[in-house]
Amino acid sequence: MLDPITFEIIRHRLFRVIDEAVITLKRVSGSEIVNEAHDLIVSLHRVDGSLLLAGVGYTSRTPTAAEACKHIIKRFKNQINKEDIFFLNDPYTAAFHTSDIHLIAPIHHGDDLVAWSCCFVHVNDIGALAPGGFSPDSSDIYTEGFSSPGLKLVDQGEVREDLMDTIRNMVRTPEMVTLDIKSMIACHNVARDRMLELIGKYGRDAVDQAARALIEQSDRLLGERLAELPDGRWEARQRMEVKGEIYRVNLSLTKREGILTFDFDGSSPQSRYPINASYWTSWGALFSPIYAVLCPDITWNEGIAHHVRMTAPEGSVVNCKRPAPLSVATVAAANLVSMAALNCISKMLLASERHEKLATGGWNGGAISVFLYGKNQHGLMAISFLTDIFAGAGGARSWGDGMDVCGDIPNPIARFANIETIEARLPVRYIFRRRVCDSGGAGQYRGGAGIECGITPHDMSGSGLNFSICGKGTHYPATEGIVGGYVGSTCHYALLHHSDEPRGSSPVVWFDPGAHEFERQTTRVNWGIYPLRDNDVLYVRCSGGGGYGDPLKRDVAAVHRDYSLGLVSLRDAREIYGVVINEKSGEVDAIATPRRRRALVAQRLKEHGRQYAHVAEPDY
Amino acid sequence: MVNLLGVGMSPGKGKSNSRVSGQKYIVATDVGGTCTDAVILADAEPMLVGKALSTPPNFADGTMAAIVNAAQTGGISLADLFSRTKLFMHGSTVVDNTILTRSGSTVGLITTRGFEDTLLMTRGAYGRWSGLTEDGIRNPVGTDRGAPLVDANWIAGIPERIDYKGAVVLPLDEERAELAIRKLVDRGAQALAVCFLWSFLNPTHERRIRELAHRIAPNLYVTLSCDVAPNPGEYERSSTTVINAYAGRITDGYLRSLQALLEQAGYPGPIMVMQGYGGLIPAIEAGDRPVGMIECGPAAGIIGSKFLGDLLKDRNIIAADMGGTTFKVGVIQDGEIEHAREPLIDRYHYLAPKIHIISIGAGGGSIVSLDPRTGVPKVGPRSASANPGPICYGRGGVEPTLTDVMLLLGFMDPDNFLGGSVRLDIRRAREIFARTVAEPLKMSLEEAAIGIYRIAAAHFSDLIREITVERGLDTREFVLHAFGGNCPMLCGAVAEDLKIRKIVVPYTSSVNCAFGLVTADIAHEYVANKTLTSPFCDSEIEAIFEPMMRKALHQLAQEGFKSERTALRRSIDLRYSRQVHEVTTPLRDQGPFTDVSVAHLIEDFEVLYERRYGKGTAYRQAGIEMTTFRLTARGLLPRPTMEKYAVSGVDASAAYVGTRPIFVEARGAMADALVYDLSRIAPGNAVEGPAVLHSAIATVVLQDRQRGRMDEYRNIIIELG
Repeated sequence: MLDPITFEIIRHRLFRVIDEAVITLKRVSGSEIVNEAHDLIVSLHRVDGSLLLAGVGYTSRTPTAAEACKHIIKRFKNQINKEDIFFLNDPYTAAFHTSDIHLIAPIHHGDDLVAWSCCFVHVNDIGALAPGGFSPDSSDIYTEGFSSPGLKLVDQGEVREDLMDTIRNMVRTPEMVTLDIKSMIACHNVARDRMLELIGKYGRDAVDQAARALIEQSDRLLGERLAELPDGRWEARQRMEVKGEIYRVNLSLTKREGILTFDFDGSSPQSRYPINASYWTSWGALFSPIYAVLCPDITWNEGIAHHVRMTAPEGSVVNCKRPAPLSVATVAAANLVSMAALNCISKMLLASERHEKLATGGWNGGAISVFLYGKNQHGLMAISFLTDIFAGAGGARSWGDGMDVCGDIPNPIARFANIETIEARLPVRYIFRRRVCDSGGAGQYRGGAGIECGITPHDMSGSGLNFSICGKGTHYPATEGIVGGYVGSTCHYALLHHSDEPRGSSPVVWFDPGAHEFERQTTRVNWGIYPLRDNDVLYVRCSGGGGYGDPLKRDVAAVHRDYSLGLVSLRDAREIYGVVINEKSGEVDAIATPRRRRALVAQRLKEHGRQYAHVAEPDY
Repeated sequence: MVNLLGVGMSPGKGKSNSRVSGQKYIVATDVGGTCTDAVILADAEPMLVGKALSTPPNFADGTMAAIVNAAQTGGISLADLFSRTKLFMHGSTVVDNTILTRSGSTVGLITTRGFEDTLLMTRGAYGRWSGLTEDGIRNPVGTDRGAPLVDANWIAGIPERIDYKGAVVLPLDEERAELAIRKLVDRGAQALAVCFLWSFLNPTHERRIRELAHRIAPNLYVTLSCDVAPNPGEYERSSTTVINAYAGRITDGYLRSLQALLEQAGYPGPIMVMQGYGGLIPAIEAGDRPVGMIECGPAAGIIGSKFLGDLLKDRNIIAADMGGTTFKVGVIQDGEIEHAREPLIDRYHYLAPKIHIISIGAGGGSIVSLDPRTGVPKVGPRSASANPGPICYGRGGVEPTLTDVMLLLGFMDPDNFLGGSVRLDIRRAREIFARTVAEPLKMSLEEAAIGIYRIAAAHFSDLIREITVERGLDTREFVLHAFGGNCPMLCGAVAEDLKIRKIVVPYTSSVNCAFGLVTADIAHEYVANKTLTSPFCDSEIEAIFEPMMRKALHQLAQEGFKSERTALRRSIDLRYSRQVHEVTTPLRDQGPFTDVSVAHLIEDFEVLYERRYGKGTAYRQAGIEMTTFRLTARGLLPRPTMEKYAVSGVDASAAYVGTRPIFVEARGAMADALVYDLSRIAPGNAVEGPAVLHSAIATVVLQDRQRGRMDEYRNIIIELG
């Protein structure tokens, strides 16, 4: 039995092994998506592939990293040698989509296999139909770039250049992908060296015992938490629309003692659009809210997975069958799964006074992808991911408002780029980038506001700029409210045509997307590839976070402040919060407000009388 | 502009030289969070050092107390000292303190319309997780971003727009600007921050706002982003501008009152204020640029480390400083000091040239506790600070700290702490530690204390690993400088872990930052941002540097530096296109720019890039870009001459005072160690571990197979066997 001191030292150092491997990966890669958006994960695994420890990033990829390790172990059996590194990016095996290249490396001490390290990077291109990997028009996996369920890329320390050549041959940006792969190899080398140093210092047994104890600790701590929560069943539903077709993710969470069972019964059949998630993708997507919301204070590893079960109907949008396309999964079905699981988990937490503070309304929910590409103002080809969609929005909590524009649960550390960075590299000019009025779900505690931006061409050269977009959340708000809190706003993607204005005069267009005029002048652009020309404006609005509690209980002063900051409109203040603000003076009408709140209660009782019959009228 | 003739340089064209000869003292004071340190230096005289507790918020009191303390040790009266002081150097935590205690001014922010929320949105999650511990980063629901230093209601967007080339797309709406300023002033704004998009390429709109503001409210403290952070990145630039405006009045007032105090005491000369990049600037400029003072004390420490490294011919140094609440590390590689890429104060990002220093919240005052859920022992992050302090100080501390553990392990002398002025209560420390840590762990007191010591040492070496791994460095090639009261106790274990072969415990270890001040130069940093893409045109680069050079030379001349006392250094940040890593590459010579110098620059960049990011990381196919053009203009101050002491024999027995059991790692247990009085160790003396060397303010622990020797500058050089 390991003493707690040695355990603590080894535990701390294991975290450092991950950190150092991540730092190395970022250092060597130098790509924007790795360094700015942190679209990566590095994890350590025990000898059987089970997850020991992972860094922060796209945490949904850590259970699937374990799956990738297990698959390699099964596939390569006794061909696993010292300093080998394996390549895997097949979504039907373990990856989320083909762009997520995983490298998996055994760690040997002497001649014995003692652990595994795994990392993935979202590479710049994978040879899919559309540049950049997200491929809105793909009809099957064969049009989504190459995919491998397992290759030995590094053979006992030697990189297999024949395979590297093959990979380079199949992508649009071979140098960048090479560098991405190099960075992952460097990352593995650091992880292995540090692990061996650790083993050298404390011994193989001690490190193995600490690893086992760390998994047992997470298992036990989550077990204790679940024991403090009541048994029950909670449901959530998420929808998305693609070109007029509606897809549903239905999720129920049943908690019996120490086991959480997630069931996707009733979810839509798989789609012809690349929004599907494979079985392992759905499994992974469940974990981002499990980790961040249920287990923020527990080490994220296999011990947590011991408490989780999942059933997903085969051939559905959450467990698609080959060759269904799935290149957009991360911002489509996988994201819906995370959002639905977040809602179920929050509802479960709300059933416990002790743990309700962990609960949260929906976060962001507007995960989409927008790529801008074309010749830039310096005459070079540019493919650029619009990082504004990482802006996110926080759900309201049982103790306070959600944070405005503050990231997301699936990747809690992503960030978006400065406008000055974007405008230097792309021939565009932002007209505004700001928080959205009325976007945060109303409630006693308001959901965080989302972001909106308007982008127009500026100093465009040559054939102009195009953008590809895979958007959702326009028809059905993706962020749920809790305990009577309202949903966050819907998303909106539109193209405003201003071709009638003289070209090149660089108009500064001020417009109000809420106005009728705006609707009339714009085309919705939710899915596909579109040109951005002349004086067009691409408008992107992401959703806000979900609210908590009854908006009629919100502190009047808080509503007034939101109004003064432009986060809540006069109309919503009056219609949803029951707070009457005098437009001229900007002050709250102290007489009309309680009256208005009483009227809204009366109206509710009238409309939903039976449902509210047991609720005593509050005293306003 | 200040004239620095008082520093003994040849007369320039500034004010007349009113200071007569006979001034010989250089006085340096550094105000830290807990202590204020002073160093007094005069040619051919022993260096005097002093210490006093810091006295927030009126830091000047502690400053004077530290000077008195130092002067007393040399038997100099304060009047004599100040009448013969030729230069006064100062570092202070005043800006850090203003931000940490949220005691700054009421700020209004003026920005480009449509982008009012830039600062509040903090680039999304970036502002939430920055400055949090690992536990906080992993907890998005349970954490928030730092409350902004400017209220959301005090941000005004003004119609105006400049594009990426610096061209005006929309002229400034002066009418609205005036209205906005008036409104903010009427509501009580004490300071105004102004940050427009792309202002660093075209500052006309920002400058116009300052004119308007001065007309409306002449006393308003105005910070323009183009002055304080002329760099791309509107979020970080806004944040910098607001921090500067927020701390402006307090910093300015602080420096003025210090000046007045010194004048009263008989020193009418200028105060030279340390900047986070490790250079000094006159107080009158520093008052306009408080953001430059953030973490300037530790920066001075690194400068001091470099000075010492140059003296001892060490080019690769890890400088570690452990105080009561934090452990800080900086790195000097091949004689060069690295700048921070994304500096942070508390939870706020800023852009300013600053030495890269990382830290963790673990120091002597860090509380040792057991996680209630897992029973696993933790060191920090909570701290008993100076008050109530560790249990053994007997000032009411009831939770065991790292200092208490050091005492239990025999590293500290209970009867001779701070020269015997504080008697350490070892009994109480032992009793509480046994009850709250050892017994729940089912360990003996000794085992538990050893365990905690090992955890702390492992955390410190893990932190050093972090800063070296970021740069791809190998710790085995480095010398460890151990600063602060506690570091020399732990550094042996840390060095073993990192396979470092040599530790230097400088003579000035306990007043490291103040010592660093006297080794620094006047330094002005100039920067211009423009993206140039390969192939490069030498005249275009020359045209970017030319105005900076002109400005710099003018400024140094005004300060009284003749050209032989100035040093200009140009460097350019380069990167491979489509890559994020930028490498600051120094120019080989300072002459006019030619295509040869361009070729040299590219060559040096490629070498530096691969050295830092690894072989094969260079992405040449994409082409190379230049992004930032930097000029550091130094006015060279006289270096302190470090007096060499005569070296006597290795025999240290004259300093031997007794034997005491201490924890010896190699034996995994307590074992007898020789105890020496550090003040009686003579240069040349050597001591074999296990041993402890004590002075009133410093304790050095030598582990088994470690050999400590005092060199001719009175530093302790520890070699690891």
